[in-house]
Amino acid sequence: MILATFHWGWLLLASLLGFAMGWIAVVHRGHGVSRALAGWLGALVAVLLAASLTHLVPGRPGYWLDLGLMIFAVYLVGCTVGSWLRNRVLPGPGGAS
Amino acid sequence: MRGLVRWSSKWWPGTIPLAVIWALAVWSNTSPLETELAGRSTEALKDIVLDKSKIAVSGRDVTLAADAFSEEGRRNAVAAIEAVPGVRLVNDETRLIPEAKPFVWSAERDVVRVTLTGSSPLPVTKGKLLEAARAGLGGVEVVDQTNLSRGAPPRFDEAALLLLDQVVRLKDGKITISDTKVSLAGMARDLGGREAIAAALKNLPEGFSVAANEIKAPPYVFQANKDPVASTVTLTGYVPDNNAHAAIVAATGRKFFNEKVVDNLKNSLGAPSGFSNAVVPALGALSRLSTGTLVVSEREVKLSGDALYDAAAGQLRANLIKDFPQGWQLKADISVKPAAAPVDATVCQQLFSEVLAKGTIRFESGRSSIDADSAGLLDHLIEIALRCPATNIEVAGHTDTDGDGSTNQALSEKRAQAVVDYLVRAGLPVSRFTATGHGSAQPIAANDTDEGKARNRRIEFVVKEQP
Repeated sequence: MILATFHWGWLLLASLLGFAMGWIAVVHRGHGVSRALAGWLGALVAVLLAASLTHLVPGRPGYWLDLGLMIFAVYLVGCTVGSWLRNRVLPGPGGAS
Repeated sequence: MRGLVRWSSKWWPGTIPLAVIWALAVWSNTSPLETELAGRSTEALKDIVLDKSKIAVSGRDVTLAADAFSEEGRRNAVAAIEAVPGVRLVNDETRLIPEAKPFVWSAERDVVRVTLTGSSPLPVTKGKLLEAARAGLGGVEVVDQTNLSRGAPPRFDEAALLLLDQVVRLKDGKITISDTKVSLAGMARDLGGREAIAAALKNLPEGFSVAANEIKAPPYVFQANKDPVASTVTLTGYVPDNNAHAAIVAATGRKFFNEKVVDNLKNSLGAPSGFSNAVVPALGALSRLSTGTLVVSEREVKLSGDALYDAAAGQLRANLIKDFPQGWQLKADISVKPAAAPVDATVCQQLFSEVLAKGTIRFESGRSSIDADSAGLLDHLIEIALRCPATNIEVAGHTDTDGDGSTNQALSEKRAQAVVDYLVRAGLPVSRFTATGHGSAQPIAANDTDEGKARNRRIEFVVKEQP
């Protein structure tokens, strides 16, 4: 809880960034991350999450890891919400899927 | 759902500014968060008794180093910090303070300070004992060298406080608690202090006992110091009771014709037998010294100082012991005052008159034996006579008008002769002295009051140039 109350400003910033990124992603024409790389990135996040939950990293780096994961989680939530909303308001065939 | 997966592959560019946000959050929040957690942890430990507790926060991990006084206290401390919101891990570096076996606490008093050593069970006890010692001992310096240890016997505080009260009664010594055994050694400050301590030890809390009580009573000391510069004789130390006190002060007043008596004596039981009978002649000997100190300790008399002339020193060394009761000892360290410069007949006469104005040679009532109280005065007269060897001296006796004339005439002659004999025994040549008696024929005051009569009963010294 203290992380949320103590860092709410940064978390809000991360969620807004996520929302904006999600909003853009729906109409973005560039290349996405390949499936294989996404897998590796997912595994990396899983490992970091496991390290955080098991309190494996001591002292300040441990705190930084927790904070990073939290910011990242909020970012993902922001992205999801952004993409979903953009998809809803977008006219055309994209809006139906 | 498929759309979400598709979109999410394009979310990655946002992670770059996200990393910047993360870095900024880390940079700006790490120290404030640590400070916040340290404050909360300290607050959480407020009611737990620990010694040397130290909290270090790194990120959200708290390192607690402290000395705990019980296993339970140690667990409680760690649990209290674990319960602080935001704390991720507690590194427990607490330890139990060592157990003292046996649990020893002691208070030692020497000339300048009282030192507390050994073990104290809790910081609060340590503080309480130090404060009690400071309060009881007034201005004496108190040094607390106790360490905190486990293993104190029950009711330790109570016992230690009672014993600190006894330290106040000591001149020097040491009081020790070893588990539940109390031992005492040293010397009481005042006569009767030993008994007071013994009585107080009966109130030791349950479970404590006295293993050894070797408190000694202070020696029974009487001191007199003759200071010719201040013209005082100072009496200090102990006397047995009010009667002896009055008698000793009165005898001092008679023997020291020129000095003011400063009486700092205290009454106390425990005087050695024959105390007054030894002190009075010893004071007489002190009165014969120009400057000197008399110390009566138990049954030993120490007399040191300067006699007025050679023969007086010899008499004191040889004869004083004879005046003491059986079993008393004398340590005489008597030197002789350097002879004063010779003077002519006029000055000599003036010196005699000055001394005889301050004191009168006393005799036993109706007889011609010189009272021992006049020894000091006579020594001064002899010292003056030695300073004017080229003179003859007429020693003239006078009486008051009590009794019939011929008796008084004979008494005055005999008393004058007794004084001359005394001077000759001190080593002065007999040829320099003549003894004359005037009876009551030359009064210097009216004979109708006791005071006037006392002034008329006198010996005068008349100095004449040798033909």
